[in-house]
Amino acid sequence: MLTATGYFRPRSSWLHRRHPTTKLLTAFWLLAAAFLLPPSALLALLAAVWLGAVSCGLLGGLLRSSRVGLYLLVSIVVVNAFFFPGGHDFLLALGPIRLTREGLEAGLVGGGRILVVLEALLLFLFTTLADDLLEALVQRGASARLAFVVLSAVQMVPRLQAKAAAILDAQQARGLAIGGSIGGRLRALVPLVGPLLLGTLIDVRERTFALEARGFGSGLPRTAYRLVADPPADRALRWLLAAAFVGLIVVALTIR
Amino acid sequence: MTGAPPPALRLTGLGVRYPGRSRPALEGIDLAVGRGEFFGVAGRNGAGKSTLALVVAGFIPRVVRARVEGEVDVAGRPTRTATLAELIREVGIVFATPANQLSSSKPTVREELAFGLENLGVPREEMDGRIDRALAELGIADLAERLPAALSGGEQQRVAIASILVMGPGILVLDEPTAQLDPAGTEAVAALLHERADAGITVVVAEHKPAVLGRAFGCLVLDAGRQVALDAPGRALGSAVMGQLGGAVPTLVAVAEALGLDPRLGFDPAALAAAIGQRATGAPGAARTPPAGAAGAPTPPAVPWQPVRDQPPVAIEIEGLVHRYPGGVEALRGVDLAIEPGETVAIVGRNGSGKTTLAKHLNGLLAPAEGRVRVGGRDLRGTAVAEAARTVGFVFQDPDDQLFNRSVAREVAFGPSNLRLPAADRDRLVARALESVGLTGESATNPYDLDLSARKLVALASVLAIDPAVLVLDEPTTGQDGPGMARVGALVDAFAAAGRTVIAITHDMEFAARHFRRVVAMREGRVILDGAPEAVFTPGNAAALASTGLALPPAAAVAAALGWAAPVPLDAEGLVARLRD
Repeated sequence: MLTATGYFRPRSSWLHRRHPTTKLLTAFWLLAAAFLLPPSALLALLAAVWLGAVSCGLLGGLLRSSRVGLYLLVSIVVVNAFFFPGGHDFLLALGPIRLTREGLEAGLVGGGRILVVLEALLLFLFTTLADDLLEALVQRGASARLAFVVLSAVQMVPRLQAKAAAILDAQQARGLAIGGSIGGRLRALVPLVGPLLLGTLIDVRERTFALEARGFGSGLPRTAYRLVADPPADRALRWLLAAAFVGLIVVALTIR
Repeated sequence: MTGAPPPALRLTGLGVRYPGRSRPALEGIDLAVGRGEFFGVAGRNGAGKSTLALVVAGFIPRVVRARVEGEVDVAGRPTRTATLAELIREVGIVFATPANQLSSSKPTVREELAFGLENLGVPREEMDGRIDRALAELGIADLAERLPAALSGGEQQRVAIASILVMGPGILVLDEPTAQLDPAGTEAVAALLHERADAGITVVVAEHKPAVLGRAFGCLVLDAGRQVALDAPGRALGSAVMGQLGGAVPTLVAVAEALGLDPRLGFDPAALAAAIGQRATGAPGAARTPPAGAAGAPTPPAVPWQPVRDQPPVAIEIEGLVHRYPGGVEALRGVDLAIEPGETVAIVGRNGSGKTTLAKHLNGLLAPAEGRVRVGGRDLRGTAVAEAARTVGFVFQDPDDQLFNRSVAREVAFGPSNLRLPAADRDRLVARALESVGLTGESATNPYDLDLSARKLVALASVLAIDPAVLVLDEPTTGQDGPGMARVGALVDAFAAAGRTVIAITHDMEFAARHFRRVVAMREGRVILDGAPEAVFTPGNAAALASTGLALPPAAAVAAALGWAAPVPLDAEGLVARLRD
């Protein structure tokens, strides 16, 4: 049963109360920091995001939602560890395949950076109501229509996941075996992807009609019902973030 | 001198032709609907009801390309040159799928209603007043701060209607608004539309359900795009019109006709019972026996199911079944059921009562949190769904979750191919399954070129072709017109006659009473009633049924209103026969 829209988790935490652009800027700062700061900072960045999640009571949900991304990260680390080109400090040999220190380090750093970005973005989505973000972006001059379409696309992800699960159930109930050889898995893709695409198109048609019926395409100047609070503390925070961006660039240039 | 005001909506010689189609979707429609009238549009699937709704609301030709002939006048003004933005202020439209009507980004119903006002540029200071008024008028003020996505289908559809009415149109058009709702949700939406019409809104609703059409002031019946009747619903849906078209005659209309009473009484069990009572105290009338199958649609020719696979009949044992979804929602709270080989069981209950969750345990799609499920003596825990599919066939509610092949025949062959049945068996099963659902002539057609009701039959055939020992159907009659329902019913009968078990989840009590030997009613994850239809659908159980969003079948409701003791007749023929006695 749905209890929230998209990824948003309703709470009244300090992070939920921050203005969407403050949180968006913070997420971008973390993204930049993950790639510009030395790898030794990654743990601190990750700890900061997780502490933020703990303070809102969202760490468990964050980790559960990160599962798919974590599988990807593990595969990045493993592939790099064993197949890193130019690695010569061998830690382990499994026949012709060798685990190298350089590969392991590259995999951990690359994976760590992606993990920081993934967690920061998820925490942003968990604590920011899509509608608040939409209003905040429109107040800053974004096209309301474009902002709505982009946010709807983001919100479609959980809906597509639910539809994909329903299709998987329906096809298995007709005897489709999931798993086995790679060839078998590839063959099983068509009955899964086909209905997902066609069903989504049918859904989109009715959703488009419904939006038009609500005047979405009226072309009239739009008004806003939702007021997004932007307290002085948030404005101060954004100035701090701007300074932190400058600091980040200075640190990055100094290190190089 | 001032003449009479023009009707709220007038259609004059209205015709619609879609590009590339040989015949028009609508042709020569003339209709005038007054302010505050509630008008129904009936007809079989494909008759042109949805097209009529779209063209009246201006979506054709502005959003959907088609050639339009004739005129649509709103309050005396032609709408041909109006933009959609201008039209939506005067004509609002609501579609069939509740969840698809909502913006899906709004955290509260209040903000959902504000969405349309924002798009029309209504000043913010006006919004709360208009929203509060709309919520109060529609009797959903208690939902104002709820999350739209977490509401039931019936509640969502009422919110969708409020979201349109808050924009201030004088005409509300609805395209099968109750297709996906349980009886309680359907009744709530029907009552709401009736009230809005009384308040001055002109309501035009394309529907199949007598519960909605019966409240209409008038009813337009379409057949292949042409209007074939324009009359009070009792007459428009009666045997002289709908019966001739091969559509479904509502049960109580058939009863009223058979008793020589006004067929307009055929939508209100209490009123019909009162008329029957009055006549019983006066001069006896000549009750005719309704022709076999008069109520509902004519039964299609029976196609016996001839098994191809050697499937021994299997029993199903469910003991202490508990299921919890991630997040802790307890959908099943200790269900015990024993289903004999070859039994037919209808599972009924409001949306969210646990019906589908229970059914998904029958082929291992869900695993019990507690308790166990055995099919043919075998515990399904740990059995792959694809393996269980050899014994238990499961037809899902939404056919679009399954269909992907280029032709109907290939789609139906998907199941037998997965089971690696010999080619000769597979071909025989595909042919028999297609014959059973009446789609032999469409075997080369792309499934997505068929309408929803036919796509549901394709999905059903694709599971029938597995020739399972147990057939599970999730809402098989949703979206079906009368003939489609009769087809599904005949198929249930045929499959059961071949010794196979059939279990169906349904909101249609008449369908349950007519085609199943056992009815299981669920509420909040528990079984509250279990027995033969005659034992479950009794006047004494009316309150228990209402507590899970259900109502007695119409014939039983008349019997209850007449004060009859159980067992009461469940169909038109039984009711009329008992009245004659």
